[in-house]
Amino acid sequence: MTPDQQVRPLIELQGVHKSFGSFPVLKGVSLSVQDGGVVCIIGPSGSGKSTILRCINGLTPIDRGTIRVGSFAVETLKSDKDLVPLRHQVAMVFQQYNLFPHRTVLQNLTMAPIQVLGEDPTQVRERALSLLAKVRLTGKEAAYPGELSGGQQQRVAIARALAMQPRVILFDEVTAALDPEMVSEVLSVIRDLAREGMTCVLVTHEMRFAEEVADEVFFTDRGVIVEHGPPSTIFKAPGDERLKSFLEKVL
Amino acid sequence: MTLDFSWLADPLYQQWLLRGLGTTILMSLLGIVLMFIIGIAGAACIHFRLPVLETLTTILVELFRNTPPLVQLFFLYFMLSEIGLTLTDSATGRSIPLFSGFTCVVLSLGLYNGAIAVEIIRSGLLAVPSQTVEGARSLGYSRLQTFRHVELPIGLRMSIPAMTNNVVSLIKTSSQAVLVAVADIMYGATQIMLETFRNLEVMILIWIIYVVIASLAVVAARRIAAAVRIPGYGM
Repeated sequence: MTPDQQVRPLIELQGVHKSFGSFPVLKGVSLSVQDGGVVCIIGPSGSGKSTILRCINGLTPIDRGTIRVGSFAVETLKSDKDLVPLRHQVAMVFQQYNLFPHRTVLQNLTMAPIQVLGEDPTQVRERALSLLAKVRLTGKEAAYPGELSGGQQQRVAIARALAMQPRVILFDEVTAALDPEMVSEVLSVIRDLAREGMTCVLVTHEMRFAEEVADEVFFTDRGVIVEHGPPSTIFKAPGDERLKSFLEKVL
Repeated sequence: MTLDFSWLADPLYQQWLLRGLGTTILMSLLGIVLMFIIGIAGAACIHFRLPVLETLTTILVELFRNTPPLVQLFFLYFMLSEIGLTLTDSATGRSIPLFSGFTCVVLSLGLYNGAIAVEIIRSGLLAVPSQTVEGARSLGYSRLQTFRHVELPIGLRMSIPAMTNNVVSLIKTSSQAVLVAVADIMYGATQIMLETFRNLEVMILIWIIYVVIASLAVVAARRIAAAVRIPGYGM
């Protein structure tokens, strides 16, 4: 790796604006994520956290600003065909799992690599089986998502994201719909990924987890990033008043 | 009042009924195929909001859904014969009309029940959770691929109960073929009534035959629904 690549972040957002109708959700968001970095975005509901993630993989088109992921200028990608290579590199895991209910667990993992990326089914299947082992779901290959618990479904969703062999995974409040006892099984999978060097961007309400895994934490409020820094600073010595009052409420 | 079913022993009447039954089933099957093609294509036009085609589909759906199928059949039958498209039989050299009564009935069934099928499939597609669609989009599926691999398979499953009603309606509506001189089961029945005057007995038989055909269709639909059921999905 050349020094130039080392300093150049994998993801870079600059002055991103987005309104839904007349309501501005993002009012000039800038952030960057290093390759292999783990970034957590925290903040009150409706502050635009999820919208930031959805903009990064092009699910939500932006009004103004630039988003760069690797060599892609995301705001310039318009057609489905242009977006395929981006979505190959940037996978996403959702709060509601968003699995394919009519396909088995194994098919959920293999569908996109075969149908979208046109990869060899035998290889994809092997990779999918080892990913299921990784998220500790071996034996559930033939089950349907509706037959699994929330925590198991979310682990399938993570494995499905990994099956695309992405460079980045975006996690959108992935434990928010889970029972407390299932939260830990999902978090431990994410923790493993972060340790292995997968670039992760997490929107989360799990403050202790954010403190543990994040290299950098961004605090959003009303469409702007109010404060960012290493978790030790954000959680132990917050500067901004809004961040202080937010942390008082959630910690 | 005594019922006399002795005419049923007549081989000629048996032949009329069996041939008629075959025609009824064939018309219904072809009509169902056409209904599904129209239903899926029409629902896709509206779903993708295709310019021009979306409006055109909506107008045609209203037109065929809101007029009596008999009016449509007569309209098709007289309009198409007026246009007078014919093809020449290569064996006999005779000129035969391209749109026979049989073709008109199949077209009419396909259009009438197809228009209803468009709405049924569309409502099934609307019932597919937006999160599921988003999951596909985030994996790089194009809108067309999402439709083919995710929305349509789930949406069609959701539309099975309503579609079963539509199929039964189609089978029953096929009985109007008799009015454009197609020798279906109703036609056979009418002929037998004219010859035997056993109107009530013949109608009792026809009634039973339609109940059996429609019930078989319902059983088949239930089998299909069970075979494609999504485990744990509340369907």
